[in-house]
Amino acid sequence: MRNYLFILFVLLSLTSMIAQEVAMNALEIDVFKLQVSNASKSTTTIASDFVQFKHLDFLDNDIETSGKLVFKAPGLVKWEYTHPYQYSVIFKEDKLLINDDGTKSDVDIGSSKMFKKLNQLIVNSVKGTMFDDDDFEISYAKVDKANKATFIPKDKKIAGYIAAFELLFNKNDGTVQEVKMIEPSLDFTRIVFSNRVLNGTVKDAVFNN
Amino acid sequence: MRFLIISLFTLFICGSCSLKTTEGLRQTTLTKKEVINPYFLNSTTDYIYKAKVGVYGRYFGGILIIKKVAEDSHRVVFTTEFGSKIFDFLYEGDTFTKNFVLEDLDRKIIVNTLGKDFKLLISEKAEVLEQFASEGVTVYKTKADNGYNFYFYEVASERLDKLIKTSKHKEKVTIVFESSNASEEAIVAEKITINHSNIKLKIDLDYFKKD
Repeated sequence: MRNYLFILFVLLSLTSMIAQEVAMNALEIDVFKLQVSNASKSTTTIASDFVQFKHLDFLDNDIETSGKLVFKAPGLVKWEYTHPYQYSVIFKEDKLLINDDGTKSDVDIGSSKMFKKLNQLIVNSVKGTMFDDDDFEISYAKVDKANKATFIPKDKKIAGYIAAFELLFNKNDGTVQEVKMIEPSLDFTRIVFSNRVLNGTVKDAVFNN
Repeated sequence: MRFLIISLFTLFICGSCSLKTTEGLRQTTLTKKEVINPYFLNSTTDYIYKAKVGVYGRYFGGILIIKKVAEDSHRVVFTTEFGSKIFDFLYEGDTFTKNFVLEDLDRKIIVNTLGKDFKLLISEKAEVLEQFASEGVTVYKTKADNGYNFYFYEVASERLDKLIKTSKHKEKVTIVFESSNASEEAIVAEKITINHSNIKLKIDLDYFKKD
């Protein structure tokens, strides 16, 4: 019995060493939400570099792509991949405006509830105002150098595509550092932001295709 | 008159039964029993391509991932640029498994067409039935489901440049490969075009450039 307890203890401490993740208590959650909300309220524009890692369990290396993200309040977002190819998507009202290395196209997402939801989540996660969303089960944790919010979709159809979203926030200023989208197969896409410029001048023309 | 009609009829029939694929080629003796497609042989290479798909005037892009996961097994996965999966196929020898297909695309005709296209693309070897030649090109005819595959190799470089899938009488799918790095450890096709003759479907693939 003592042996079992010892093994259990070792296992538990190993797990906590690996994960280094502690759930927030109610007070910490409130403080964290307030910090993120204050950060987003004072944000009118964001320009940031990003690196995207696509992890598939059968590959030797994650697929790495990178580019720039531009956001302008209340809801304009442009994702622009610049390496290893040129590709941009502008989220504008109910449309996705795509420019694939010169080939331009529009996708009307007005009719698709799921796309709308995803679009809204992308905009909200860039803004940091996604905690009021009733469509997700949200949990909060403290990790090594960041605060983490995990979103699990309640809608079964969405859950068939995305098991969870994880957002990492900077502990000091409450801005989003990393977004991770985990598929039901546990393959994931991880996007890491860097060189963030807040409230710089962003012209509306940036969001024309 | 009757003779003329029969002749014309015979001409018409034979005209339609000869494949245009071998027009202008002369048949030669077989120099090998088997052809090899060299482009997806290496199990330690992640073959990642930017894909552009044009289908009946509509267009969409994505990322195509091909990996040799075991001897005679390949995984072929298509994702959006954001990384979400559109389809995920597994080929184990002649066994095809549909691991995942986005609900809106999960129709028999789409899965069959794409499934067969990528099977043609990744198939490593085939038994040669006949061999042809023209200037600078050797062509090998192999057996395929309800028809043939024709492998076009450039004689000088021994590189696979083109692959045509046919029915008994007509060309159905043409795959064109562009490759320049034959000296590297893994031979990679930097550009691939998959074009259908009977339906308006074209897939352009561009290999991810290394830094």
